Amino acid sequence: MDKVFLGIDVGSVSTNVVAINEKHEVLSKQYIRTNGQPLESVKTGIRNLRQDLEGKYTVSGVGATGSGRQLIGIMVGADVIKNEITAHATATIHYVPEANTIFEIGGQDSKIIFLNKGLITDFAMNTVCAAGTGSFLDHQAERLGIPIQQFGEYALRAKRKVRIAGRCTVFAESDMISKQQFGFSKEEIINGLCEALVRNYINNLGRGKKLKPPYVFQGGVAANVGIRAAFEKELGEEVRIPQYYDVMGALGAAILAKEALEHSGEKTKFRGFEAADIEFTPTSFECSGCSNLCEVIKVEIDGETAAMWGDKCAKWTNSVKAT
Amino acid sequence: MKVTFPYMGTTLVYKKLVEMLGHEAVSPPKPSQKTIDLGVKHSPEFACFPMKVIMGSYLEAVEKGAEVILTSGGHGPCRAGFYGEMHKRILQNLGYDVDVIVFDSIRRDFKSVVNNIKRLKGDNSWLKLWKILKLVYKMAYHVDELEMQLQTKRAYELQKGSCSRTWEKIQRLYETVYTEAELIQAHEQAQKWIAEIAIKEVPESQKIRIGIVGEIYVVMEPTVNMKMEETLGNLGCEVRRGHYLSHWIEHNIVPRPFSKSREHILLEKGEKYIEIQIGGHAKETMGHIVDYYDQGFDGIIHLMPFGCLPELVSQSIMPKLMEDTGMPVLTIALDEQTGLANNLTRVEAFLDLIRSSKNNKLSKVS
Repeated sequence: MDKVFLGIDVGSVSTNVVAINEKHEVLSKQYIRTNGQPLESVKTGIRNLRQDLEGKYTVSGVGATGSGRQLIGIMVGADVIKNEITAHATATIHYVPEANTIFEIGGQDSKIIFLNKGLITDFAMNTVCAAGTGSFLDHQAERLGIPIQQFGEYALRAKRKVRIAGRCTVFAESDMISKQQFGFSKEEIINGLCEALVRNYINNLGRGKKLKPPYVFQGGVAANVGIRAAFEKELGEEVRIPQYYDVMGALGAAILAKEALEHSGEKTKFRGFEAADIEFTPTSFECSGCSNLCEVIKVEIDGETAAMWGDKCAKWTNSVKAT
Repeated sequence: MKVTFPYMGTTLVYKKLVEMLGHEAVSPPKPSQKTIDLGVKHSPEFACFPMKVIMGSYLEAVEKGAEVILTSGGHGPCRAGFYGEMHKRILQNLGYDVDVIVFDSIRRDFKSVVNNIKRLKGDNSWLKLWKILKLVYKMAYHVDELEMQLQTKRAYELQKGSCSRTWEKIQRLYETVYTEAELIQAHEQAQKWIAEIAIKEVPESQKIRIGIVGEIYVVMEPTVNMKMEETLGNLGCEVRRGHYLSHWIEHNIVPRPFSKSREHILLEKGEKYIEIQIGGHAKETMGHIVDYYDQGFDGIIHLMPFGCLPELVSQSIMPKLMEDTGMPVLTIALDEQTGLANNLTRVEAFLDLIRSSKNNKLSKVS
């Protein structure tokens, strides 16, 4: 049976699960809304994957990334648990090797990653606010009463230019209302929003750094043709969107797992597709050992403590390794 | 007098100085969430993070009975130079009758420093004062040097947390030191403890050295910078800080008519990027980075309070510096809204960046 490597990216808005073969070809990809339940969405993803893969392939490595990476990593038995910046860049380096700048816009965070000859040289993440991310667009689409999937096409139909203040979601909204009163159409306002988001993104994350083409645009928001057009207009260059733009983080995690295991020669720690059915309970408690009052997270699998973290002195973390 | 001071890094040295001059030292508790909440509540919203945390520390100290606050001034246009006065007024408006003694650099305002010293000196003879200052300076120097050893060892410790526990033990040990002889004994004991920490062997080519630079308070006080030193140490990095107390004393207080202080040399190194003192520690920040580059460090973590004017200037020079030197720099702005998880992601990614470029260089050489 051929080997496959799994990558799991647990984000705030979506949970992505992918399977790749040794040539980095994508065999299966799941894009699931997290809906505030990372554990359940990963279980769903693994069940779907099982239908696609079981009997045909053996899982030889698993990587986890995203904001829920630690918890999920323990649940499935991941070989590599990596931050999403490294994961995203790894995927881009493999699928678009000539890229020099990556724009990644997800649900609640956005990143810019600078590459040079297949190495990360610098990166930045949004710091203060979400006014440059998918949630901002989601919210505005809802307010205008159009489905987010059609948001981009609306922007492309705009005939006139209108400038919307994009620094902050709340102020953008007041500005939109007044621009509607000036008689601008929905299309024009949406186009203005796309441009505001791009302007905000480049000001906030670019911060005077030189942006070098070729540009790659990935993350859930890359599906929005309006944003892509706004980027191209702002930069005066083509912006490429990779084929699997929406699951790049998960792909990166899978590649990292493959590389790590090839390097170490070890066997995967994957718990098997049954991981979707095990009883897995995370709890937390406040440690009263000292004045730090750390919030310690404890994970139990079938009633047995599998991992603990969150304590500054490592008292609890070490206690698990010993047993 | 019941004297207190800001909580910045280890308070051991200030405490010792105050005690040996015959005053009662009222150390504020280590900054906690409570300190921050208290400080934020009583400070202007636009003030920077150090001002707010120190405000909280003072409030906790006056609650414990402190009558006099001992603090350092600032130089240049940085707002910190004004904070002594602001803290005093806020405390007085809240009904606390406290006095604030602000020490500026002796090279800048000789008279006020002498007056402040006279006040603190009380009935002690000048000779005794000299002896105390000498002992305290030596102690600061020892403690910093021991801390540096731990900052290196933490990267390789076998049992997580053993370096931090030793550091706590050393600080308690030095609290009992009052004479030169005891100082030497304590140093020997501390060295023994450090030697006992079990470490793993890591080949030289895999070692990673990170310098932490930026505004002095957020660099030196671990409880407000997400324990950056420990975090990096636990991720396998050797760490050095841009600021150590003994360096500060050496630069600002020790008379030096003929030679240049270490800080002075560092400042000159930064002149390529910022020619003049623009306040705060912006010029030092650039100097420290150039110095770490010269020493062959692998990366820089640049910490600043959110909205800190001098450090915003240095932040905007970083792209040029990074281009010139190829040294990776990660800037992190800190304040009471800082999210831990988000910044941890950045630090991890930053270390991945450093490791991969290091390995890449190695494979090209061989």
